[in-house]
Amino acid sequence: MSWSGILKRPQAEEARPAATDERELLARIAQGELAAFERLYRLYQPRLTRFLTTLLKRPQLIEEVLDDTMMVVWQTAGNFRGSSKPSTWVFAIAYRKAAKAKARWPDPLEEPEFDNRVSEDPLPDEELHQDRLRGALLKAMDQLSADHRAVVDLTYFHGLGYREIAEIVGCPVDTVKTRMFHARRRLRQAMTGSLMDWL
Amino acid sequence: MNDPSLTERPPHDEAEELLPWYATGQLDEADRARVDAHLASCAHCRQQLALERRLIDEFQAMSPEVESGWARLKARIDAPAPAAPVFAPPHRPARANAFAEMWALLSRPAVAGLAMAQLAFVLIAGSLLFSLSRPSYRALGSAPPPAAANVIVMFRADATIDDVRHTLKAAGASIVDGPTPTDAYLLHVAPTQRGASLARLQSDHNVQLAQPIDGGRS
Repeated sequence: MSWSGILKRPQAEEARPAATDERELLARIAQGELAAFERLYRLYQPRLTRFLTTLLKRPQLIEEVLDDTMMVVWQTAGNFRGSSKPSTWVFAIAYRKAAKAKARWPDPLEEPEFDNRVSEDPLPDEELHQDRLRGALLKAMDQLSADHRAVVDLTYFHGLGYREIAEIVGCPVDTVKTRMFHARRRLRQAMTGSLMDWL
Repeated sequence: MNDPSLTERPPHDEAEELLPWYATGQLDEADRARVDAHLASCAHCRQQLALERRLIDEFQAMSPEVESGWARLKARIDAPAPAAPVFAPPHRPARANAFAEMWALLSRPAVAGLAMAQLAFVLIAGSLLFSLSRPSYRALGSAPPPAAANVIVMFRADATIDDVRHTLKAAGASIVDGPTPTDAYLLHVAPTQRGASLARLQSDHNVQLAQPIDGGRS
């Protein structure tokens, strides 16, 4: 019996344009075509913003790293050889840029504000539950290292496979699996903890 | 058969590790066949798979970038009414956050009308931080902060409002914006004095971190 029939792919994956289109865009960018770059920027800006928000705890850095990443794409698109997917190449640049930024500005020790956002409002039960669950997951994410958060986000939100993730973060595939395994344990604990509170 | 060598992982562990990518449909044929085979005989992993799918749903629905922006905005809306104990909000443990509350209160839209304006005036005149070059009406309006910030600072969690005021005065700094979701504040210092002001901030025991935010990009 196959269990995959009951599964669904992340929406982000479905909405994603074909990699071949992006290859073509990169080729045109390598020729200095600004319109192609603008199109690629519009495709990647939301995804990179999400990824960088997961990685960087300093909101002020996100725009800077995003711009730096896209400038590298603009300037070095000719170096993209096509051995990996365009998204892998772009995300790997973003990951390295984020790592550099974090080295300059280590994560703050204080918890971000949304950790405390367990609502006291008289929300409908379902909403309240959802709110708490999300809060618990965000908090669990926050307590993970940036390396772990990156793997979680690339897997669950961006819908990437472990080999692609290994390429992006520059580590062996087994490390990706181990990080994910550890992260999931924490997230499951947070989720079940939230469910238990609810019951 | 049940004789895993030291180099080979038990099928259960292997399958359990692969579940997230099984759930997102990102496994190759061989991996997926292995997980399929294991799932057929392992109730634990089937249960884990259900949790995986729930996690995927949550992460798809969740947007940290929105969360972080919303938390900041909501803090403004939730800012206590003027009669409430502004300086010791019950749900904010650190005293630095009392300052955050006050900032949120000050930068709240002018929905409370005159009473709000009066309160803001009293707070500004009485205790705060705004240099004359940054007129107070900005705090009540909705205009974005001017892009004059050149330093970002995080105060220690136990710093009091007095501590913060002294620190800012000593460094010749004024607050442009903040707190950010990470409780940082954007400051303006005179560009010609930036080095000295930064050094002053960085050596201040109430300051956890102070960094320039203009220039110095890699």
